[in-house]
Amino acid sequence: MILNVNGSKHKVRTETRTLLDVLREDLGLMGTKEGCSVGMCGACTVLVDGKPLSSCLLLAEQAAGMEILTIEGVGSAENLHPVQQAFLDEGAFQCAYCTPGFVLTTVALLNENPSPSDNEIREYLAGNLCRCGSYQNILRAVKVASKSEAVKVVLKP
Amino acid sequence: MAIGKSVPMLDALARVTGTLDYMINLRLPGMLVGKIVRSLAPHARLLKVDPTDALLVPGVVAILTGADLGENAFYGAAIKDQGVVAVDRVRYVGEPIAAIAAESEQAAEEAAMLLDVEYEELPAVFDAQEAIQPGTPVLHENYPNNIFIHSKLRHGDLQAAFAEADEIFEDTFTSPLAQQASLEPHVAAAQWDGNGLTMWTASQAPYMVRRVVAGILGVEEKSVRVIVPPLGGGYGGKGHIRIEPLVAAMARKTGGQPVKFVLSRAEEFVTVTKHAASITLKTGVKRDGTFTARQVTIYWNGGAYADASPLLVPQGMVRSVGPYRIPAVHVDSYGIYTNLPPAGAYRGAMSSQTTWAYESQMDIIARKMGWDPLEFRLKNLFVSGDQFATGEILHDVHFVECLEVSAKGLELSPSPGGRGVRGEGKRGLGYGVMMKSTVSTSKSQARMKLADDGTVTLFTSTVEMGQGAHTAMAQITAEALGLPVEMVRVVGPDTEVTPFDSITSASRSTNMMGNAVMATGAALTKRLIELAAPLLETPPEELRSENGHVVAEEASISFTDVLKRNGLDSLEELGEYATAFKVDPETGQGVSTPHWHQGAGAAEVDVDTETGRVTVLRYTAASFAGRVVNPRLAQLQNDGNVIFGLGPAVMEEIVLDGGQPTNPNLADYAIPSIRDIPAELVSVCIESEQGELHGIGEMTLPPVAPAIANAIEDAVGVRIKDLPITAEKVLRALREKSER
Repeated sequence: MILNVNGSKHKVRTETRTLLDVLREDLGLMGTKEGCSVGMCGACTVLVDGKPLSSCLLLAEQAAGMEILTIEGVGSAENLHPVQQAFLDEGAFQCAYCTPGFVLTTVALLNENPSPSDNEIREYLAGNLCRCGSYQNILRAVKVASKSEAVKVVLKP
Repeated sequence: MAIGKSVPMLDALARVTGTLDYMINLRLPGMLVGKIVRSLAPHARLLKVDPTDALLVPGVVAILTGADLGENAFYGAAIKDQGVVAVDRVRYVGEPIAAIAAESEQAAEEAAMLLDVEYEELPAVFDAQEAIQPGTPVLHENYPNNIFIHSKLRHGDLQAAFAEADEIFEDTFTSPLAQQASLEPHVAAAQWDGNGLTMWTASQAPYMVRRVVAGILGVEEKSVRVIVPPLGGGYGGKGHIRIEPLVAAMARKTGGQPVKFVLSRAEEFVTVTKHAASITLKTGVKRDGTFTARQVTIYWNGGAYADASPLLVPQGMVRSVGPYRIPAVHVDSYGIYTNLPPAGAYRGAMSSQTTWAYESQMDIIARKMGWDPLEFRLKNLFVSGDQFATGEILHDVHFVECLEVSAKGLELSPSPGGRGVRGEGKRGLGYGVMMKSTVSTSKSQARMKLADDGTVTLFTSTVEMGQGAHTAMAQITAEALGLPVEMVRVVGPDTEVTPFDSITSASRSTNMMGNAVMATGAALTKRLIELAAPLLETPPEELRSENGHVVAEEASISFTDVLKRNGLDSLEELGEYATAFKVDPETGQGVSTPHWHQGAGAAEVDVDTETGRVTVLRYTAASFAGRVVNPRLAQLQNDGNVIFGLGPAVMEEIVLDGGQPTNPNLADYAIPSIRDIPAELVSVCIESEQGELHGIGEMTLPPVAPAIANAIEDAVGVRIKDLPITAEKVLRALREKSER
């Protein structure tokens, strides 16, 4: 089976496994984290055709033929995405286990709605949990990112 | 000045790009998958644990059972009652019976199903107060009444003091079992090399792990190396000893092949919990608004093994009195065995339960006596120079300021309106203050190495778990040496290279490790100055360090040149900071803590009287922070405490059925999301001019629950005494009130 991840095609085993396991174990994309295994915490969020989904709930087969974006495809240390830059500038993380999921959900939000209100941000990010409680800084980071010109370029893998 | 700046976290880039290497990322050549087989019974004799069939599964390398264990295989902070795996008897649902190491997850799972276990069920007890009644099941024969610790505080003549009271209040407040729920689960890996062990673990206590694991393996401590990568959250749940003994024993049994265990979310719920507690406060007050006496009785549900409770229950005793002047105080704090998973520290350890009690009762008293709850607190709060119930004199305490700043915060801004409240929404204000001790006896060491390129490496066993401790330590290093913070690198924990530290817990690191780093930096600076003095032809006492240079009145020399011209590659120092305070075990008199953690909060809530739903509209919190090292990181901790605290306040509870958690997942056990935080949340760090370095990882958490409960009573006149404050409880209380 072929998976399209971060703009390149990968041949992967077609056993019945979650997209999360295939990303981490086969492709070595360790940015995606397992938190709750039941789609509640958002630590394993990836974008599938632009939509934020829990990769722990998807079988890899279900994502065949779709464009998968993981945190590794969003930006790198040398070339941060504006959302990552805003998270960094606003200190929108503590242990950061949840951060890749939050960044991806924010990318999806701003693609759909470039100027979200506080309530819209809260609604959209409610499926990502941060146990350290960095939510206030995350709210600020999303607002800052929404004002960035660069973020308006729709992110395609 | 490097202290006082909002330096971004040292590894911030790795954190926003998802490249930080947590334990779950660890892969070693030939690494096996570990899996734990757990008890299905809350209390049973193990008639049979037979691995014969399980061992036949292709890919299974080794199975560890109670039969493998020798005398050394028991551990516990003070009472060694817990086996690496169960031996002959299980005492809670989820207790490890066996561990499997296999080449694949599938093989490990298949073997787990084939492990032949036979139980003979025994009667079980889950409630702490029930467990101490005669005739209830006994968990450990050495403790026939199931009480494994009884901490006592005796200060003043209680009966005489109650006789002086105009009114006596007696109330009981309860907190349920809860889960720390770090998003990263417990993860540990280990490899045995024939003589010793290397262990990688997501732990808050690397040196404790080293000591305990060495004891279990029967090797010297230096034969065990413990490496701790950055944690994906800890909150006390990774404090003390968790899965490490089992992982170490398994690694030894595989005979050299490394093995890694990653717990599932369901396993997390049976690995460590917050102590369920029932706290009864009997408090005497006079009509002039002062206290005469307080008697506190606490039943801590410790679960099936004592674990860290013998350390925590005495702290819970000290933390149960409250920050008010009360002449006579007696406390009885009991740690009790039940057939539940062992309880441990939960962010704001023991103070969450005790603050819930004493701050709720403050409002009950004030309302009954016709006093303003805020005024009543301000009138009685401790100030510096007051004597605490342990007999110690308080220094640098700022409870009044913390509460005033919190209360003022709500006055300053208008209440946000129109939150779509159905029914008759009613609003109220409530307050909470907390006073918490830190670890009384502990030690931190730091090693610092200046290289000839002018960079400094700090070797520290303080665990970076998201609180930003390594960044703060880099700042303190930079400050102590007179060096830009960019020149500092932080390494550790790795017991092979980083020196001793007791534990990263109880908000102790910024203070204890911070002071160790300061001392080490001062020693290194002194040596640099001594080496530079002849080069600058200036006496040492006229030299200082600044921006990577030793500076005289009219000349200076870089650290690099000081080393080079003395023919040195590097310069190293080891320093430490230790405290050793104690109280008398019979009376609780003495000194209980190096300094006090102080926090307060003020809540405005809206109560929907039709549904009982409580919305926290605004919350202001303040903690005393001594001297803030990094304002941004401090604010994150301060805010984070409040947000974390909303969980146990209004939503978190492990629901049990026959000792079995029925909601061991994040769908049925909700933790706060971004939608649950108040529309307005402000947290303040109060500093003092001569303030010491303080940790602030908990201070604003314990006041959250009572502040909300107090605001609810202010709004609708009902009092909730059992956490969490759910809509159902509020609605029931409203109905009972209207029926009266």
